[in-house]
Amino acid sequence: MSDHNSASKFNMKDEVRRALGSLEKVVANSGSMTSDLSIDEELNLHSIGWEPVELVSGISLFSIPYGNWNWGQGEIEAASFAHAQAFHNAIARMHQEAARSGGHGVVGVHIERSIYSTHVEISLVGTAVRPVGASTIPVNGVFVSDLSARDFTMLMVAGWEPLGLATGASFVFAPRRTMGAVIQQQSQNVELANFTEAMYSAREAAMERMQQAALEMHGTGVVDVKVQEGPMHFASHAVGFVALGTVVRLAKPVHQMIHPVTVVSLNDRLIAFDVQSLS
Amino acid sequence: MSETPSDLPEAAQRRFAQGAFSSGLSVADFAACLEMGLEPVGLVQGFCAMQFGAFTMGGGIGRGMSPFGGSQGGYVQNYQCPHGMVSMEHRSWGQNYQQTWIEDSWREGFTSAYSRMIEEAQNVGAHGVVGVVDAENPLSDTGVTEFHLRGTAVKVLDTPTPTQAPWSTFLAGQRLAKIFEAGYAPVSIVVSVASMRVWSYCITEYLMDGTGGMWSNSPGTVEIDQIVSAQSKVRDLARSHARAQLHGDSLHGANLEVVTREFSKGDLEIQSRLSGNRVRRFKDFDPVDVPQPTVRLS
Repeated sequence: MSDHNSASKFNMKDEVRRALGSLEKVVANSGSMTSDLSIDEELNLHSIGWEPVELVSGISLFSIPYGNWNWGQGEIEAASFAHAQAFHNAIARMHQEAARSGGHGVVGVHIERSIYSTHVEISLVGTAVRPVGASTIPVNGVFVSDLSARDFTMLMVAGWEPLGLATGASFVFAPRRTMGAVIQQQSQNVELANFTEAMYSAREAAMERMQQAALEMHGTGVVDVKVQEGPMHFASHAVGFVALGTVVRLAKPVHQMIHPVTVVSLNDRLIAFDVQSLS
Repeated sequence: MSETPSDLPEAAQRRFAQGAFSSGLSVADFAACLEMGLEPVGLVQGFCAMQFGAFTMGGGIGRGMSPFGGSQGGYVQNYQCPHGMVSMEHRSWGQNYQQTWIEDSWREGFTSAYSRMIEEAQNVGAHGVVGVVDAENPLSDTGVTEFHLRGTAVKVLDTPTPTQAPWSTFLAGQRLAKIFEAGYAPVSIVVSVASMRVWSYCITEYLMDGTGGMWSNSPGTVEIDQIVSAQSKVRDLARSHARAQLHGDSLHGANLEVVTREFSKGDLEIQSRLSGNRVRRFKDFDPVDVPQPTVRLS
């Protein structure tokens, strides 16, 4: 970007006049793109030779039969299965949209995830991207990632590549205590081991599934993992654990050190503005 | 300024003629505009209050009776009850249909408010409008929606008086400056809406309620096709409506929002709204160096 030191080479006012002057000319359709990236993100992408192509989405809803959340033992398999399948189908639809538009991957994916007692809803929106001018690739070569364009850029600069979105979820019953235990513990400060153990069980299953998904993509790890855990608001004796992140693999022979520069801001804490200083 | 018949109130014309400018820009954005050679000349606005008559009629009448009801010239997908029993639970047909009349009314309201804002900008001799903010607010509970657009009209310094309608953008300040530096010129804001009505058939209702069992023909966990299809299509429609406004230009900084409302059991409306900046490339990207990561010491 321009700065005051390079003002002799770049005049912002001239550039703006040139840009706006171009609106008066009729232009040929040069192939348009749609994108939800900010201009900063687009510049980040361009710095590594990538460009946005198309705004893409993927959605899925899966049913969960009634009555699965209230009584039982162990994992609530119907809920875990519905969550996994809904994610799988939403990602598959996003793959198809991205491949159709010529994208090699999707970055900055916004994930909306809703779990109800009778169904799971997953909605994904992101921008398909590709190396500048690259041709289309098969659907199975497209990656989907919730990394921002900035993080994607840093990942690529460091010699790594994203492979896809890995998710793992598990919903587990916290066994009901016996009536005797409830009465005995009523006035005690005591750990409820049934809930603690259920959470550990859900956590292990979810993390293992996410890791398994990463291995199936031939990845070496998962970055920017988000976890969400806790009780389900519609079921008094069920807990859930969901983990998701972007699977990555080293694309270059070795990790590329990026050597950040240390900076110290000399700005005052109080931000003052003097209109007279404008040229 | 304008000699053509106008919607602009006389009071607004007098105010614009007085000389002092108004602006919705923050001080930082104001400074960035001056750096770019854009001079704010007025805070311009457009309003339109639209009554969605067809929207408030409660269109559930006729639900499930015919595969030919629903959309007027738009997308329709039918789902036939497999059980062969006609009752409130087993309506003969389920439908996803595009509510073209809602989309048309919305477009009319938005376009009217937008063109009134642009007309104000033309009246102050502006080349463009930056920092556009758009809002839609319900007026009481009468089914009336107020469209309100506002932005800061700007003149480009040292250029002739504009001969065509002002350009517009949601951006202002440094973000707008970066757009220019990246090789884009702002053309206009783009907003599109798609509206889909879902009249569930029995299978969809069973699956949404989790009460499918043998009646759903698919006990267990299965994908709910009718809702997935409606949700996918409403996003497609919003994007294709927006693409129709691009005319070969690009849509930048898009925002896709989806809202679902349930009028009654199994009667849903899904609305998708896509907004962004239509931009035109006027030069190739200047080579941009790979950003240098920094660690800030405070």
